[in-house]
Amino acid sequence: MKKRLLHPMLLGGLFALFATACSKKEEGPVALDPETEARIAAFRAEVQNYYETKVALPPAVFEDLESGKVTQEEIDARTAAGEFPKLFTFATLDDLPDDLVWANGSELPEIGSPKATKGGTAYGAIQDFPRTLRTVGPDANGSFRRYLLDDVVMLLAHPHPDTNEIGPEGEKYFPGLAKEWAIDKENSTVYVRLEPEARFSDGEPITADDYLFCFFFFQSSYLKAPWYKNFYNRFYENVTKYDDYTISVKVSVNKPDLTKYVFESVRPIPEHFYGELGDDFPERYQWRFAPTTSPYILKEEDIKKGDSLTFTRLEDWWAKDRRNFRYRFNYDRIHIRVVRDIAKSFEMFKKGELDAASLTLSEYWYEKLPDDDPLVEGGYIKKATFYNQRPRPPYGLWINTSKPLLDDLNIRLGIQYATNWDLVIEKYFRGDYERLDHTAVGYGVFSNPEVKARPYSIEKAAEHFAKAGYAERGPDGILVNDKGQRLSFSVSTGYQSFKDALTIIKEEAEKAGIEFRLRIMDGTAGFKLAVEKQHDIHFMAWGYSPEMYPRYWETFHSVNAYNPDGSVKVQTNNLNVFRNSDMDRMIEQYRASNDVDEMIALAHRMEQLLHDEAIFVPGFVIPFYRIGYWRWREYPENFDVMKSESSGQWAMGWINVEARMETLKARDRGQTFEKSIKYYDQHKSK
Amino acid sequence: MTKLLGVKINPLTAKKLRRFKHIKRGYYSFIAIVGLLLVSLGAELLVNSRALVVSYEGELHFPTYGDVIPGTRFGQDYAYETDYRELKRVFAEADEGNWVLMPIIPYDPYENNEFEGVFKPAPPSWQSRHFLGTDTTGRDIAARLFYGFRIAIFFALAFLVATYAIGIAIGCLMGYFGGVFDLIGQRLIEIWSNMPFLYVVIIVFSVTPSFMPNSARIMILLAIMVLFSWMGMTYYMRTGAYKEKARDYVAAAEALGASAFRIIFKHILPNSLATLVTFMPFTIVGAITSVTALDYLGFGLPPPTPSLGELLKQGTDNLTTAPWIVSSSFFALVLILTLVAFVGEAIREAFDPKKFTIYR
Repeated sequence: MKKRLLHPMLLGGLFALFATACSKKEEGPVALDPETEARIAAFRAEVQNYYETKVALPPAVFEDLESGKVTQEEIDARTAAGEFPKLFTFATLDDLPDDLVWANGSELPEIGSPKATKGGTAYGAIQDFPRTLRTVGPDANGSFRRYLLDDVVMLLAHPHPDTNEIGPEGEKYFPGLAKEWAIDKENSTVYVRLEPEARFSDGEPITADDYLFCFFFFQSSYLKAPWYKNFYNRFYENVTKYDDYTISVKVSVNKPDLTKYVFESVRPIPEHFYGELGDDFPERYQWRFAPTTSPYILKEEDIKKGDSLTFTRLEDWWAKDRRNFRYRFNYDRIHIRVVRDIAKSFEMFKKGELDAASLTLSEYWYEKLPDDDPLVEGGYIKKATFYNQRPRPPYGLWINTSKPLLDDLNIRLGIQYATNWDLVIEKYFRGDYERLDHTAVGYGVFSNPEVKARPYSIEKAAEHFAKAGYAERGPDGILVNDKGQRLSFSVSTGYQSFKDALTIIKEEAEKAGIEFRLRIMDGTAGFKLAVEKQHDIHFMAWGYSPEMYPRYWETFHSVNAYNPDGSVKVQTNNLNVFRNSDMDRMIEQYRASNDVDEMIALAHRMEQLLHDEAIFVPGFVIPFYRIGYWRWREYPENFDVMKSESSGQWAMGWINVEARMETLKARDRGQTFEKSIKYYDQHKSK
Repeated sequence: MTKLLGVKINPLTAKKLRRFKHIKRGYYSFIAIVGLLLVSLGAELLVNSRALVVSYEGELHFPTYGDVIPGTRFGQDYAYETDYRELKRVFAEADEGNWVLMPIIPYDPYENNEFEGVFKPAPPSWQSRHFLGTDTTGRDIAARLFYGFRIAIFFALAFLVATYAIGIAIGCLMGYFGGVFDLIGQRLIEIWSNMPFLYVVIIVFSVTPSFMPNSARIMILLAIMVLFSWMGMTYYMRTGAYKEKARDYVAAAEALGASAFRIIFKHILPNSLATLVTFMPFTIVGAITSVTALDYLGFGLPPPTPSLGELLKQGTDNLTTAPWIVSSSFFALVLILTLVAFVGEAIREAFDPKKFTIYR
């Protein structure tokens, strides 16, 4: 099923972005034409000038500029007058504060299995050939980006994927490109000593300059990537270079997840590669693989347009023996074929042409590759279910409270009781999925364990509908009020794959006397309907990536519900058009807070309030991922790390090279192996 | 003049009809399809989760066509619509002289039925009365096919009437008046024909307000399809009208002072009708195919409306795990289309002017 990454302000969280990628390998010095040379020289001058003049706008000023209260011209004038501090500071090691406490995450357990061996080729498939090899700019946010960026590149430090623990300095990190770091919470500043041995995939050392260039790169308009431009302009107050391997970054907001803004978003961008950066960036860099911090590179001869891409592991990757990296990224080559039809790629998997396939959907786990399938019986293909822990997409019904009747709490409560998700989970998802309890499940201590979704109950629904004036059933069995109006709402969605689940919801709701008129739309149209607030009740989920705490402002604050003139505000994430002054107060306090305990308490109270207001009918949670894989693929004893979303995300697997031929031959001869169907439920919520 | 069902018909037409009757394959196909159509009108009596007759405490109830009867009416403890299959079981167990008579296929096309405790495809079974099995959410395939057929065939008939009405009128006018009117009309039609139909369907459905009931959405789909399909007929009628216009009887009618309207619809049209009749079955085939194709792509009849295309889609998605879905829908579609095509073939042969024309 498709998730959308739409969270608004995007947050750091989502963006595990990190640049990457890859370039054509330089084949010795290539003579550049004079025009390009001139262009590069001009560019270098531009960057230099930028480092000297760029200022950081205080958040309040930035917001005024964004909302149009002040113009760019005024800002320019005030900048020239020297009102704002410079973004970049060039200092010396002597300027480093003396009282810093350096940490490097070495107390955390290592991830990966020592049993892993390097080698072999992994075969995978994607549905469409990527539209670009860039990781930023138009079309770059596709499903292929994980191979270039999200799943493979090295960050300054990575949040440890096996713990939800929150320490005094936020989440737990293990080092990547950073050797060690020191956090000054009071000043929202993170000091980082860089790993001197770190190299880009083209062999260039990674130094402080590449991190400085990150700001030029993302703040520029060349990328045609407004989200990045906004993010990097808004959240950073100062960047200081002490020497080639020491920097500090001061973040302009003071939040408990300060480190995320630095470790996961400030990443080295190879200045030497982007010398031709300009307005034609999207086209010029469309098919160039940029030097990357990932262990995998894409060679030009391995890009077969429209057909396949093959990544090659760097034999002499600088971090290959480093803790937390030495047992991961084990495949020598990763071959990714374009297979447009999912049914076809599944058949290819069963033939052994692809190594693994997702079985998360019930019909795949139970019917398309059942436990008694000859391939499973014979032990050629293994099945595994891995329970993970991460923020859960809130699948459920978002009720538009600006619509007639839906503004009535009793109607909403009636809808809660008339919606039979439990039946859908039990009979349609076969009891594998779990009931979602509220909008912020999977955030560890931030998730309120007391709030539970309301069960299906025809009696309770009838009780609440009667309070709202709907006590009698009409001739078609649907409740009517004394004016003869039927209790009927449209339920829309852009998720075609869940249409069957919704038809069950509809049939069950009719028993409770309420009619749901289904509208199954195409993905984009469905989403547009919802953000335009045209829906009565909409079924969807936001895609959340791992973050320390849930967000409420975008989805539940009244500024995202109504315009100052009282009209409904469109194009925001407040799908409930929800306005509640208590909620607003709590959200504001929560946003301003720097204290984890206070934020937890607020999050719990807000969840309770949302539950009481009954504006969201919680649907279901998929608490695991499931895959089938050929027996030559091997995984660690625990299979994967707690926060992993899919089996490839943390690159924990490896290939038993001999087993491939052995297995295929055995299959042809009818010789069998031990059957293996495993459930890794160590992270299952109890 | 011969009479057919009390309507006077022209001997020439009578001859054609006789000829049609003699083409056995087409004639029997015609009877079969009309039979199916009539039966489908009474689908509620054959395929339905509502009982035909319930005898409760000496009183007879006929729930099929009336309002929803809550379970409480029959002494059950729920206020929603009676579950008649369950009621039958309860009555049989209690053995108090109450009874329930269910239709042959006691399922409606919307309800989800469990199989082995979950909603998943169940293979055909006489015992459960799922004669063709169930689809991916446990809905009875026979019921969905039957209701899907009814919707498709009536949709196709409505489509036929609407496209022909527009196509004939405009085609005749262009042929009869000719000249500038014809020239402009033709150019407009050419332009109109180049509008991408599928995109229009997608766009229109994306802006249809959500409060519209499903029936309105079906009408919108019909309207769009008609809007993009009437052009084909105009070409035939235009040539037909051109041809007839030059004949003496038209000149005679003109000389007698008949209006253009009268000449076109009273004189020219009946004489060019033979061409039309032969197209009709193929138009129906075309309409069923396109609505099936649209459903298959997800732009057709709004879910959960039973439809052949939607079943076909489910079938191809579950080719290996639930082959009965694709086989039933495939055979049903082939059967309907073949019957209609046979009828069309026979009509064409019967009406072929080469054998029966009087202008030789």
